[in-house]
Amino acid sequence: MSSTISAQTSPSAKVAENGRTPRAGKRDVWLVFWIVPAFYTAFGLIFFALARVMPPPRPDVTTDQMVHFFHAHALTIKIGFGILVLIVGGAGIANGIVAFHMKRMTVGSVMAYAYLGAMSVGALPGCLLVAFCFLTAVYRPGRDPQLLALLYDLGLLSYVGSLGCFSTAYFAFAVAILYDKNEIFPKWLAYVSIWQIVTEIMAVPVFVSKAGPFAWNGSIAFWMGVVVFGFWLSCVIVFLMKATELQPVDEPPLE
Amino acid sequence: MANAKQTAADFDSAAASSVTGTGRQGTVHTPGDGHMWVMVLGDLIIFGAYFIIFMVYRAMEPQEFLTSQEHLNINIGVLNTLVLLASSWFIARSVQAARAGDHARALRLTYLGGLCGVAFILIKAYEWSTKIAAGYTISSNDYFMFYYMLTGVHLFHVSLGLLILGVMVRELRNPRRRRMFMVESGATYWHMVDLLWIVIFALLYVMR
Amino acid sequence: MQILAEAEDLPKTANIKTQLISLWTAPVFGVVLLIAFLAFPGFFPPMSPDMTAEQVARFYSDHTAMIRFSMITFNLCGVMLLPFFMVIVIQMKRMATQSHIFAYCYLTAAVSGATLFALADIFYLTAAFRPDRSPELVMLLNDMAWMIFIAPVGAFVAMNLLLGLAVFFDDGPNPVFPRWVGYYAIGTALAMAPAAGAAVFATGPLAWNGVVSFWLRNGAFALFVVVMFVVLRNVLHRQAVEEGVAR
Repeated sequence: MSSTISAQTSPSAKVAENGRTPRAGKRDVWLVFWIVPAFYTAFGLIFFALARVMPPPRPDVTTDQMVHFFHAHALTIKIGFGILVLIVGGAGIANGIVAFHMKRMTVGSVMAYAYLGAMSVGALPGCLLVAFCFLTAVYRPGRDPQLLALLYDLGLLSYVGSLGCFSTAYFAFAVAILYDKNEIFPKWLAYVSIWQIVTEIMAVPVFVSKAGPFAWNGSIAFWMGVVVFGFWLSCVIVFLMKATELQPVDEPPLE
Repeated sequence: MANAKQTAADFDSAAASSVTGTGRQGTVHTPGDGHMWVMVLGDLIIFGAYFIIFMVYRAMEPQEFLTSQEHLNINIGVLNTLVLLASSWFIARSVQAARAGDHARALRLTYLGGLCGVAFILIKAYEWSTKIAAGYTISSNDYFMFYYMLTGVHLFHVSLGLLILGVMVRELRNPRRRRMFMVESGATYWHMVDLLWIVIFALLYVMR
Repeated sequence: MQILAEAEDLPKTANIKTQLISLWTAPVFGVVLLIAFLAFPGFFPPMSPDMTAEQVARFYSDHTAMIRFSMITFNLCGVMLLPFFMVIVIQMKRMATQSHIFAYCYLTAAVSGATLFALADIFYLTAAFRPDRSPELVMLLNDMAWMIFIAPVGAFVAMNLLLGLAVFFDDGPNPVFPRWVGYYAIGTALAMAPAAGAAVFATGPLAWNGVVSFWLRNGAFALFVVVMFVVLRNVLHRQAVEEGVAR
């Protein structure tokens, strides 16, 4: 598994003549790879700056305060989540390239399919439901405050509280890495994925607690989850890059 | 890549030692593999953050935390601590036995350590059921939410630890393997689980 | 299954092992999900669509703790059944006398089915989140929860029809599954299909609390997991022996 940049056979050898650094691996995989950090940067911008769900607004507020939240942020919610529903295919693409490299492991495909499946499940309750709850809430001015409160709760509970889909994905990822002899990803990344499962478990009380560290905006149930997720995602992006670099150019297409 | 080389080295020395009957003498190395240390250190940092947050909330509501703490049965807590300490002792001795080449003994000691782990889980389940029956649930107050969440996520780590001990058992039973770094990694994880419990015990049960 | 010591490090052994792990998540998490099912106060008997808004709201405020325990468990553990169904995908891909297109269709159908299952518990939990919510809105959330739990059978129907077809098309000398599995899968699809009526009917056996939509549908699904667990264990064992991985 050495990083054979076999410049003689690589199509990017022609690129080298122009002075640019030749890359090992395949052009199509590289194209897909670069979509991943681009998508998650946009995702971060949308969720942090525009849609106002990171950090989420508090659960321990009155209905009037929820109405005020939607009123105050209607424009950025529309811009942010409106863009999200356009670019959310990037999440599928990110899941796809991980599944692709998982299929290059020596463990067979069952864990790759489980990862792909579980992450796909998560896209709806864990990401898009809050987008549509919030978009609906700001769609018509003057909607009954009680309805806005319902959309507020439903969106945020599903966003922070979708636990099992991602836990299953992290489980599949960890098992595959630990059994893999091709060392596509380092073994410690499996353990980082276990930490992700830990943060999902610690988010269980969001369905109970309205304030404090275990509420959906709490230091443990939310913020620590964000920190660990940020670390996990950064590692995954770095190692997707490494895996793509180390992938031999002449590797046959996957089945 | 380091692991591949380490595996090869382990194979050679294991093969050598199984012939001569001696362990890997004279090689100074960090026990286990680097990957497990990432797990252990990272887990300790994450739990450390949980503990700090616990302390912050305790400082904000000291009275509530103190009176709630009185409803915990410190005897069960002590029993669980002793059970886990015993299991760590068994596992540590198992590593020693494996290093000396006595794999049968290492296997027995690993089983004993695992048995203690199971006992811990059963005692914890019993403790939870008595608390819930007495009306102290996760939504009772902040203290009990911390109690159930910290002991709960620790229980998850114990369950994971039993799986890892299972991997250790398979490693020790297979004469073609018995790689020390696998045995040591498993032991490292188990000791971390024990260490976490001691801190949880101190914070939740003991600290006044 | 006794994995041969000399085969321990081969890739095809890891393939068997990861499938075994995926297989065994089914009974382990199946038991957990069964406990959650038994714990939910609204399943014995299943809540009637006839309940008034006040009755629904009172149900949620009277039983908040058990509702939360049960549905949080579904939330955390429900999708852990997915790897089990992925083993079926892998085995469908081993069938020699077809193109494996059924396997890929099965995969996507399983994902869409799991998505709806993952969605339902969120609605129950949101209904239980604020006791002072207007009863009409609690009933709205409860209606959606039940409909999303019971009615979306399309994915499972498709999955089982695909599995049935794949088994029937697998008519070479070394079929992966015994032939009766094909009939059983189709039977399961037929048993679950009528539960789609829960989206429309508010009374009778097709309502979400009815004998057909609730008991037959869920019973058929649970039985399918149990039966296929046994079948897949044997199939995996045969695969391991055929590939020289196990004795």
